[in-house]
Amino acid sequence: MYVTDDEKRILDGARGAIARLSMEFLIEMSEVAGAERLVDLDGTADMHTPWTSLVPHYEFPIEDLRALAENGEKFKVPTFANKTPLPICTIHDGWEYCDCPPHNTKEGHERMMEREWMALYKKMGMLTVHSCDYYLAMTYWPTQGQHCSWNESSAIPYCNAILGARTNIDGCFMTAYLGKVPYYGMHVPENRYATVVVDTERRIGSDVEWDVFGFAVGEECGLAVPALVNTGKPTTSQILKFNTASNTGGSIAMYHIPGTTPEAPTLEYALGGRKPKREIRIGEDRLRASYEKLNSHRGDRVDMVSLGCPHYGMVDLMLLARKLEGKKVRVPFWIMTIPWLFELAEREGFKKVFDDAGATLVSGTCPAAMGGCPPGVRSLAVDSAKQAYYITGCYPEEDNRLDLFYGTQDDCIDAAITGIWRGEWR
Amino acid sequence: MDRGEPIRIRGRKEFGGKVEGEALVSPLPLEGFANVDPVNGYTTERGHPLFKVPYEGKILVFPAPRGSGGFMGYGRGEKLPAAFLHTEGNTLSVACVMCARVPAMTDFDRDPVDVIETGDWVAVNADEGYIDVFKGGKTAE
Repeated sequence: MYVTDDEKRILDGARGAIARLSMEFLIEMSEVAGAERLVDLDGTADMHTPWTSLVPHYEFPIEDLRALAENGEKFKVPTFANKTPLPICTIHDGWEYCDCPPHNTKEGHERMMEREWMALYKKMGMLTVHSCDYYLAMTYWPTQGQHCSWNESSAIPYCNAILGARTNIDGCFMTAYLGKVPYYGMHVPENRYATVVVDTERRIGSDVEWDVFGFAVGEECGLAVPALVNTGKPTTSQILKFNTASNTGGSIAMYHIPGTTPEAPTLEYALGGRKPKREIRIGEDRLRASYEKLNSHRGDRVDMVSLGCPHYGMVDLMLLARKLEGKKVRVPFWIMTIPWLFELAEREGFKKVFDDAGATLVSGTCPAAMGGCPPGVRSLAVDSAKQAYYITGCYPEEDNRLDLFYGTQDDCIDAAITGIWRGEWR
Repeated sequence: MDRGEPIRIRGRKEFGGKVEGEALVSPLPLEGFANVDPVNGYTTERGHPLFKVPYEGKILVFPAPRGSGGFMGYGRGEKLPAAFLHTEGNTLSVACVMCARVPAMTDFDRDPVDVIETGDWVAVNADEGYIDVFKGGKTAE
């Protein structure tokens, strides 16, 4: 592996023990990944807090972080906090109204928000947006070709495919602090070309179609870079649905929609002028099979509804408020958003509409990230393939199963009002 | 030697070391985050062929990682596989291997998921970049 003179000096301890430890981490990561050098970041980073490394072996204690912060050390690039602190992501806003101890107690909330760690990270320049799709609210986006270090599977294709910036899923303290990452994967232009062409039978147009299609594309393409042809033109919300679902069914760091995404003016360009290795068609049967796989329930009684995976942005909240105006829900109904948008949603009047309907606006987390639903909830309805596929993993015991209903946002609203699931694939 | 000639396949070392053990093969990708339970050491992904099958001490063979960064759950906790062998990988498997710090290999000259079956005995030599597969287990004639 090639190491620059500056990097060697860091390894020799010239910038202190934590810089050396961070460099050792990056060099090991390069060796495991087969990367031959590091690349300097010039975009942005995000990380899960409060952990100081992706890998326990390289973690260091809070005393060392305090020394760094008090010494005036800063993150090298704008760095954002992903979701609320691990290991159990608690609710950032709206926790008082959720019947799920210990999240709804002041003591539990304060403890799980890891205030001491967060104060130090903030001192080093971290923006504590605490969301899986923090990039919707970050007000500062990396530009095309910039090297980034993001860490949220559903966010990775937003950086690569939509912004045209470059990232693997490696954002952590050590990459953001040194401003370097291993140079491989999506940092290498050659790896960003499509190798699979994905065609569809149905013109993918609605939110649920983009979500189910994303899950199927993920399962079919695995780690490959697909070019999607004959879809509709996705809205921002639909792009987020596709990104999130394709990183549940698979691990799609990068994709192209010729004529829509920045590195694909044409299909030929997206393919780098080469023939695709595979051409696949996602037919009606495949979409239906994915929809059915995402559902896992026996009866039709719904105990809870949770929307906003990934966290809803302002337009999503506005459109949802329009649908809930004057309605009353009869089961717990969580609407998840980004902490930075919570007060904005209040100011715009959306929160009042939700409150009046009996729904609860919450931010910073989701039931799967919290390790499950509030006590007593035996069945959950969601409008997200990711939430649908992960949350049942929190309930592996047959005598403690969670019935999971997956469908459109309208199906979920109907279930919240009636307590009964009537959704189906259409 | 009573276990016959092994099938040797070569690959790229991710994390060094040598270990032998019984193979546990996943025909499908593995998915972390809420779909792995590192405390009990098994997958909790519904409908998965390895649902609740313990991987502790096994040579865990799988085609690829998928899903969230929480894939590294397969490399955390006390109940770790003895080694990871996978067809292809990305940053998800890189971070997982670094967490687990057990021998790990990928980029083989033959697909390990095709060659190895659950119950085969596998000698992993990540340092020298090969594995030996003894079909039918440790004591097969």
